[in-house]
Amino acid sequence: MAATDIQQIKQEVKEVIIKALNLKNIEPDSIDDSAPLFAPGNAFGLDSVDAIDIIMRVQSHFNVRIDDQNQARDVLESIDTLAAFIVRQRSA
Amino acid sequence: MKEVEFKHKMAAHCESGTVTAILNHNGLEITEPMVFGIASGIFFGYFESSNFPFPMFIVRNKPGSIRKNISKQLGVKFYTKDFKKQQQGIDELNSLIDEGRPVATQVDFYYMKFLPEYVRTHMNVHFVNIVGRNEENYLVSDSYHRTVAELDVETLNKARFVGGYMAPKGFLFYPAYIPENIGFEKAIIKGIKKAAYNMTKLPVPFIGVKGIRKFAKKVKTWPELARDIDHLSHEIMKINVFLEDQGTGGAGFRFLYATFLQQAAQQLNFSQLDDMSKKMMAIGDDWRNISYFAAKIGKNRDLGAERLNELSQMINTMADQEQVFFTELYKMVK
Repeated sequence: MAATDIQQIKQEVKEVIIKALNLKNIEPDSIDDSAPLFAPGNAFGLDSVDAIDIIMRVQSHFNVRIDDQNQARDVLESIDTLAAFIVRQRSA
Repeated sequence: MKEVEFKHKMAAHCESGTVTAILNHNGLEITEPMVFGIASGIFFGYFESSNFPFPMFIVRNKPGSIRKNISKQLGVKFYTKDFKKQQQGIDELNSLIDEGRPVATQVDFYYMKFLPEYVRTHMNVHFVNIVGRNEENYLVSDSYHRTVAELDVETLNKARFVGGYMAPKGFLFYPAYIPENIGFEKAIIKGIKKAAYNMTKLPVPFIGVKGIRKFAKKVKTWPELARDIDHLSHEIMKINVFLEDQGTGGAGFRFLYATFLQQAAQQLNFSQLDDMSKKMMAIGDDWRNISYFAAKIGKNRDLGAERLNELSQMINTMADQEQVFFTELYKMVK
């Protein structure tokens, strides 16, 4: 996968999250790719409800599946991990 | 550190994951979905009792049933023991590990300190494998954690001998005998048949599809049982926790069961089970929608009669779907 493709996926992931959570005044470029999304004290105040919302929207947008919450915990760690998961699923 | 060579694996669910890992260690190649399916793990029950502070539902069979049903269906004999005296339980675990034997044990999930604090709650029926020890620490293979983890002796002892509902009492087990030739085909069919029977034919008004219908009906009355809106919100949001957050593999074990059916289709060369797997996956997606809906209205305190009616209708639709699904599945393996 070319670097530009993964960058494109990261961009789309950020847009999906911003839309899902109705985050006002946040531009995709301002989100750090490696910052923890759900750890306590995360930048967006995300919780487990937001996690399900993001899972469902990512599944639908990228045509991938995140079934298991243990897997989800790892996949949803950051924009980097989410994008890497999407790449793996698509190439499987 | 005395350490047993043990292939640690993450898993969807603690009991099926722990049983799978310890069977694999002892030479039986079997996957977690296969363990779950053969053990007829898929279930539904809605309970109202003076023993519970609020009505609750379960989406899998009783804790301990995975091991018991695997034993029955595959002929695996497990050594099992619980303890009245804590020191005896500690000594036996230590001595088994010192012999080089990994041991599964029941613990209070809250004390698994290697997991993030925000996921840990007090729950007395968590299962892990203990795969090593020294004077200060145990090595714990917990299927919810990426790697084998160290846990100090005092904390594991606390986790094994905590009191309360379904207290672990130091319960431990390991496979003592695994038959050389196992009839997986027969076990798969029996496991499916029992699960489908439990879901559609058990004459108990709060179990299986009847339980889902009862849940749909009763959830509308939850405001009468709750102390206030905060309490009601908490209980409604627990629907999401029970379906998604408590080691269910997602959607109340429905995704795990779908994977079992897919693997069963391959093992039995029975393509209809593959179709059923896809249907179960779609049912799982609808349960996940309910989970999300409940979490959302709970979080927003949007808990008027209209919303609860909507939730009730969504749950009732699941009863319709699972009635059709498990009836078809039962006929398929009858």
